[in-house]
Order: sequence, then C-alpha cells, then structure tokens
Amino acid sequence: MAKLRLSGLNAVQRQSLVISLTAFFTGLLLIALISVLVLITARGGAYFWPKPIYSVALAPISSPEFASDQVPPKEAAPQVETLLANVFDDEAKSEIRLKYADALNPYGAQLLVERERIKRIDLAKNSAEIKLNDGRQVMAVPENVVTPEGANIPLAKLPQIMESVALISDEITKLNKQFLAPIHESLSRFDNRDVVADAPAREKLVAQFNEYQQRVRSLETQRDQYKLAVSFADGQPFSIPIFTIQSVDFVSRLTGFEKWQVAIGEVFVFLTESPKQANTSGGVFPALFGTVLMVFIMTIIVTPFGVMAAIYLSEYAPNTALTTIIRVSVSNMAGVPSIVYGVFGLGFFVYTLGGSIDSLFFSDTLPAPTMGSPGIFWAALTMAILTLPVVIVATEEGLRRVPEGLKAGSYALGATKIETIVRTILPIASPGIMTGVILAIARAAGEVAPLMLVGAVKFAPALPIDGEFPFLHLDRQFMHLGVLIYDSAFHSQTDAKSASMMFAACLLLLVVVFVLNILAVLLRTRLRKRYLKG
Amino acid sequence: MLKLFKHNIQPVSELSSAQTAVEVNELNLWFGDKHVLKDITMRIPKNKVTALIGQSGCGKSTLINCFNRLNDLYDGCQYKGEVIIDGKNINSKKTNVSRLRAKVGMVFQRPNPFPMSIYENVCYGLKLQGVRERRNLDDAVENALKQAALWDEVKDRLFEPAMTLSGGQQQRLVIARALSLKPEVLLLDEPTSALDPLTTLFIEELMESLKKQCTIVIVTHNMQQAARVSDYTAFFHQGKLVEYADSDTLFTMPEKKQTEDYITGRYG
Repeated sequence: MAKLRLSGLNAVQRQSLVISLTAFFTGLLLIALISVLVLITARGGAYFWPKPIYSVALAPISSPEFASDQVPPKEAAPQVETLLANVFDDEAKSEIRLKYADALNPYGAQLLVERERIKRIDLAKNSAEIKLNDGRQVMAVPENVVTPEGANIPLAKLPQIMESVALISDEITKLNKQFLAPIHESLSRFDNRDVVADAPAREKLVAQFNEYQQRVRSLETQRDQYKLAVSFADGQPFSIPIFTIQSVDFVSRLTGFEKWQVAIGEVFVFLTESPKQANTSGGVFPALFGTVLMVFIMTIIVTPFGVMAAIYLSEYAPNTALTTIIRVSVSNMAGVPSIVYGVFGLGFFVYTLGGSIDSLFFSDTLPAPTMGSPGIFWAALTMAILTLPVVIVATEEGLRRVPEGLKAGSYALGATKIETIVRTILPIASPGIMTGVILAIARAAGEVAPLMLVGAVKFAPALPIDGEFPFLHLDRQFMHLGVLIYDSAFHSQTDAKSASMMFAACLLLLVVVFVLNILAVLLRTRLRKRYLKG
Repeated sequence: MLKLFKHNIQPVSELSSAQTAVEVNELNLWFGDKHVLKDITMRIPKNKVTALIGQSGCGKSTLINCFNRLNDLYDGCQYKGEVIIDGKNINSKKTNVSRLRAKVGMVFQRPNPFPMSIYENVCYGLKLQGVRERRNLDDAVENALKQAALWDEVKDRLFEPAMTLSGGQQQRLVIARALSLKPEVLLLDEPTSALDPLTTLFIEELMESLKKQCTIVIVTHNMQQAARVSDYTAFFHQGKLVEYADSDTLFTMPEKKQTEDYITGRYG
C-alpha cells in the first residue's frame, strides 16, 4: 500500500484525517439510506392521507403567445375561473399542480398553473370527495338526493338512501345468482341436445327467464333513478347514480381524528382490494398476494436444491480443479444480470419445458397453452435459479464453520458420513442456511425484470389460489408488487394520485421485505441459540 | 525384584493373544509423501491402561486413530500392515467401520459435546445403533453418566444444553458418550490437556475404575500422568516405537538412551 504522504502533518494528524474521511463517507451512506426511507414513507403515507379540497380562483390566461395565436391551444385551461382542486405545491417553483374537477372533467384532470395566475385559494368546506365503486372519484359540492319519484331529499338523508339502494342491489344480485344463472345454464344444456323433443320444457324455461329478467330490469331502473345531485365550482350541475358511490367524504371538514379514520380505511382498502382504473386507484391485494406466494414457492424450491448442492460441494466433492471451477462459477452466477435469467426462464421453462408438458399431458387443449405460457410456477422456478448461488454460497459458508472436532466426534461414535451430515453438520449449519434463504427472499421479492417475462402481469383477472380444483393454479399469471410499481411509474407523469400509489406500493414492498427478513432473522436467532451457544 | 510385587503386570513380550486387546503388526502410514508411522509392532494388553508418549508429531495420535480408522477421514492418508482387534484385521476392506467405531470409543483433546441436550449427547451413539425404546435409552444414559462420574451433577438437568456444562464436565460427558456404547477399547487423545489440575485428577481416577470394563489407550504429554495412571507405556520418536514396557520398568530403568533422555526432560 502506498504510504500516505501529506506534508506538514504528523502521524496523529494523518490518522485523524483518515478517521474523519471514513466517518464522512459512512455519514453520506447513512444520509442516503435515511432519505430513501423518509421519501418512500412520506410519499407513500401521503397516498392514504385525505387531501383537502380547495376552491382555487384563477385569472384568465393573458400570455401574449396565446393572444397572437388565432387558434386556441388544445390543452388550454378550462374557461372557468374557479376550480375545485387538490393542490400539490411540491413541484416546480413557478408552477402549482392542481388536480381539479369540473363539468367537462367530472372525474378529475390535472393542470399546471403559474403561481401568478392564482388569485385566491380557499378551503372548500362544502365540497366532498365522492369515491365511486369503479375507483374513479368526483370532487364536487353535494346538493341533494333525487328519488325515482322526482322528490328532492336533503343531504342528511344520504346514508339511509344509500342503505336502501344497497338493499335493491342485493336483491338484484340474489335474483341473478339464484334464478337467472341456473335457468341460463339449463337452457344452454338444452341447446346441446335434441331441440324438438325438449321444446315445451324449453319454452317454459324461457318464459321463466324472461319473467325474472323483467323483475331485474325494473329493479335496476328503480335503482338507477336514485341520484346524488352535485355541482361544481362554477355552479354546473352533475348527477351521480347512488349505487355507484362507495363513499362521500367532506375532506375539507375533517377533524384530525376523522382524518386518521379515513386514512386507516384507505390503508385497509389498499391492502384488501384489487386495483382499479388501470392500477391508478383501488388496492394492491392481488399483487401483495402474488409476491408472497411466488416468494414462498421459490423458497420451497431453492432451499433443498441449494443445500444439497452445497453439501455435495463442501463434503463430498474431491478437491480438484473441476470443483474449484464449479465453485467459482456458482459465485459468479450471482452477478449475472437478472434479465438474463428472465430470458432463460422464458426460453427454457416456459417454451421448452412448458411446451413439452403441454404436448404430453394437455394435448387435447392445444394450441391453447396450459403450462406453455408464463405463470407463477415458472416465475418461482426462474427466481429459484436466480437465487440459487446465494443459497449455495451461504450454506457452504455455514458448513465450513462446523468445527472439525464435532465431525470427528460423530464419526468416532460410529456415525456414517450421511448420519453425521444429517444429525450434526446440518443443524449446526442451519443458521448459515437461513442467512442464505433470507438473502434469496429479499432478492426475489424485489426483482422485477425477469418476472415480467415469465409470469408477472400488470393485471391478473384471478388469484393463483381459489376455491376451484386444484385450488393452487400454478399455471396462472400473477401480479407482483415490483411490477405494479414499475407499471404505475408510467402513469406518474400524468396522474398525481397514481404517483402516490407507486410510492404506497413501494412502501408496502419495503414492509413485505422487512417483515419476511425479520421472520427469517428471528428463526435464525432461534436456531443459533439452539445449536451454537448450546 | 520389584516385578514380583506388582502382580498382574506381565512384561509386554510375554503377553498372549488372549490377553491382547489390540495387536499391531508392521503398521506403516503415510500422509501424502510423509512417512508418519514406521513399522509399528506392538500388543496392547486387555483391561489395562496403556500410555503412548513422545514428542509432538511423533505419530502417537495417528496411531490411535488407526485403531478406529479415523485416519480414513483425511485425504491422502495411506496405510499398510495389520491392526487386529477381536481376531480380525480391521484394516481389511471388509471391515464395517461404523461397527468398529462403536466398539472402539474415542475421547479427544478438546471436549466436543454436540450442540444438543446432555441426554441427546449420550444417546447419540445408541440411536445410531438403532436403539429406539425410551426405557433402554434412559437406562443406558444413566449408566454411562454414572460410569463417567457425572450423573450426580447433571441428573436434574439432563435436557439442558450440553454447552452449559463446565470444561471438565463436558469432557466427562464426552467420556460418558463413548461409554454408552460399551466399548471394548477406549482411546483417549490427550484428554486432560485442556483441563485444570483438579479435573485432571478426577479423570485419572475415572480411568482407574474404567479399566475393569475396557482397555484404555491414552496419549499424553504429561510424564507424571503417564507414570501415575498407566500400566504400560510406549515411547515413540519420529514415527518409530522406541521402547515399550510396563510403566514401572520404562520410567525407572529405561533400556534406551533416547527414552531416558525424554522422560528425564533432556529434550522434547
């Protein structure tokens, strides 16, 4: 090592310089780590926090560019001067981003305005955030409730009206499930058989079907006529069918405690519901479930494979050049870019392996693939290959730490090699094995690129586990938190809410990885206590 | 003249086959190119304590590793010659090494209890032999611990981790573990070198009582210990058996100059 020569400094000063430099870089690292955590937590948490609605008064655009131009620009500001909007003040200095709603864009749009154009900002106490079942939302001032009879009922009655509408909806669902669906099924069965012989029975069913359908239609008409009349900032009216409304929150009136209630409700929705509106609202439950299930399957695959390989390399393999080459290759495999594994998984597992399985076992459904298309099993298998080196290296390290004296003691009692491995070496090496598995889990939970090739999708219509035989559908595509983040990042430039959803999903992914790690560390500590300290 | 009073102790040259526990014939052993044991021929008497002494690296530990074929674990170890236990040459390919090691127990320099409970440690060998019944295991554990004079200290905490025992207790636990299999021969490889004097004394007394049931071979660097506990002593130097005799003779009237120099501390 070259000697550090700094003229004018004595040995003590040189040493303290080195210490300050190293401490400085450690500090930088700490700052980077903390800012990542703070950013993700703050932005992710903000997604759940109710955002107040302001009424924003805007001066008309008087920029000379627009004046000289005869054709008004397409993206021109709306012709109203007052908007109901969420205000995002965290963007560029000269501009403010508004998420507003008006008669033209009842479900919200975004606008960047210069700060000079804003004349006034007031808290809009009368306006509410009306969340719809399909994930869209309306920012408006609720006026009154309109019934099928045309009566205007004051807003205070809204909860009762919503309840009775829900009852009608339940009735419709019940009719559909109990009568229409079974009749439809029997009708379709008739169609497959002799038409003439079954004609009377068929006609009877059709009559029944029509009768029930009539009832459903009338109920639906009744339901659709309950409406919530609202108005926007400029007084433009708008009406929303009550059965489409999920909740009405007067966000600007909420007290601190109510805000927490709303936020906790949002977290619950986020964790338990499916994404809506192309991953810009709703929840992430399928992605959370898919991530955990994929990691779980991967762990089941990679642990025995990795441990077996490590045992062979460490205990059985002769000490030759070939073993060294294998060992070096395994370590280097950990550095191969993950997308390469994705391509390998697609080319080998999905097309070759899955294709062969299809032609052998599912040939009656070809050309539609069963196993020959990306799915959760292939994704788990690909991730297992990707994390295999981590497990092998950590397990070998754990095996190497088993004291020779203990092995000799076991052999001296008449144990064979395999008995020694199973009864003595593996238990003592188990904390090391757990370390490898922890690292593998953390890696697999956060990986995105290879998953997109072998089974993770933006939106999956069904979970990989359901009540239908065989319950665990390994061939299904699945949603993954990392992929969801990647996908919602593309919406972020146009949609502020979705940008937050990206951060919220990010926060959740961090929490998932953290929880999985904590569980594994606890398990490792227990094993270590049991097998190392005694 | 002295020999007359020491009944029971025959000169090594007069040992019959029936009195021999381990017979070594022309044993040579190499680690790679290194010739570690050179033409060793000796008879180790039954139910006696035999001490192997000599400088570090003279091959005495390697020799007792030959008695339970523990040298098989090391790469590049080759041996030639016979080691006869129970009338069979254990170096033959047909030997069931597991069974041999159950018959020839071994205790190492450093206590090496397994990271399990005291009870599990003592049953380790028995379970390997296929003993499953709880009652048999319980009896065997109690017997072995009593023989190793550890029972009174641990009978209330049999299911606590073995690592919580003191060094001396651990070494006696390891002895109990070896005794649980009722070995014919017990090999002790410097069993007291990591222990304090009091515990050492304790283990030496243990050896005295154990020789009723098995043959003990002890490797030691401690001359006084060899003189105290052993009936026979063999002196090795650079892989060769220099002198082998009953301990009284070897320590009082060594035949060879080398032996005398070593036991009087002139080298080594």
